[in-house]
Amino acid sequence: MMVLPFVGFAGSVIAVLGGRRGVAVGLWLAAMAGTLVLFGAHATATLRLDF
Amino acid sequence: MTARQARTLNALALLGCCAVLIEAFWYQLVRGELPCPLCLLQRAAFAAAGVGFTLNLRFGPRPSHYGIALLGAVAGACVAGRQVALHVVPGTGGFGSTLFGLHFYTLALIAFVALIVGVSVLLLDDGVLRADPRADGAGAGRFGSACLLLFLCVVLANAVSTAAECGAGLCADDPTRYEALDSWLGHAGPR
Repeated sequence: MMVLPFVGFAGSVIAVLGGRRGVAVGLWLAAMAGTLVLFGAHATATLRLDF
Repeated sequence: MTARQARTLNALALLGCCAVLIEAFWYQLVRGELPCPLCLLQRAAFAAAGVGFTLNLRFGPRPSHYGIALLGAVAGACVAGRQVALHVVPGTGGFGSTLFGLHFYTLALIAFVALIVGVSVLLLDDGVLRADPRADGAGAGRFGSACLLLFLCVVLANAVSTAAECGAGLCADDPTRYEALDSWLGHAGPR
């Protein structure tokens, strides 16, 4: 699961190199959504900010 | 701002993203500090921001490309801010070693904020979006292409490293070994 954002961003860069702007932006969007979902999955504990 | 200047600035920004990811890799490979899940997400956010600069290099500066870089940096700042908040209370300790007296998630937060501010200041110059990339020759140029390829290698290396550490699932909160790689070698090794 954690590898998916990197795969998506790498695919996006490969699409950039290949001149496929639309594909690059699409892959970036998918990878970004994955990153945010994973962030939500890992940010479950309540913060203890009692100084 | 000329197209060449805009291209050089974007290449330098991309090089900065590469430098951060390479430095994190150095600590991982040389000092054996495996990245935690939030650390990996911060790396992913640097990659996300870097994609915006690669688009600028290859297709010329556009507002949407700078938007991609900004959104990546904002996401990274959120992740880094969360990790700073986890450890900000005195006595709660920290994760990993320090550089210049600051933990890497703190440095990442500073870097993401600097990236946001830097791109915003860059966008104050209307000329940065009017710069025609064809004026100085199409494409990213030699330096830009080198930065682009370096960035691709670094992101791919992160993908391989993350797969070795976490496999197909979520990563351990405090990783001590490459779980997926060890598991795979255990199954594939001699019996």
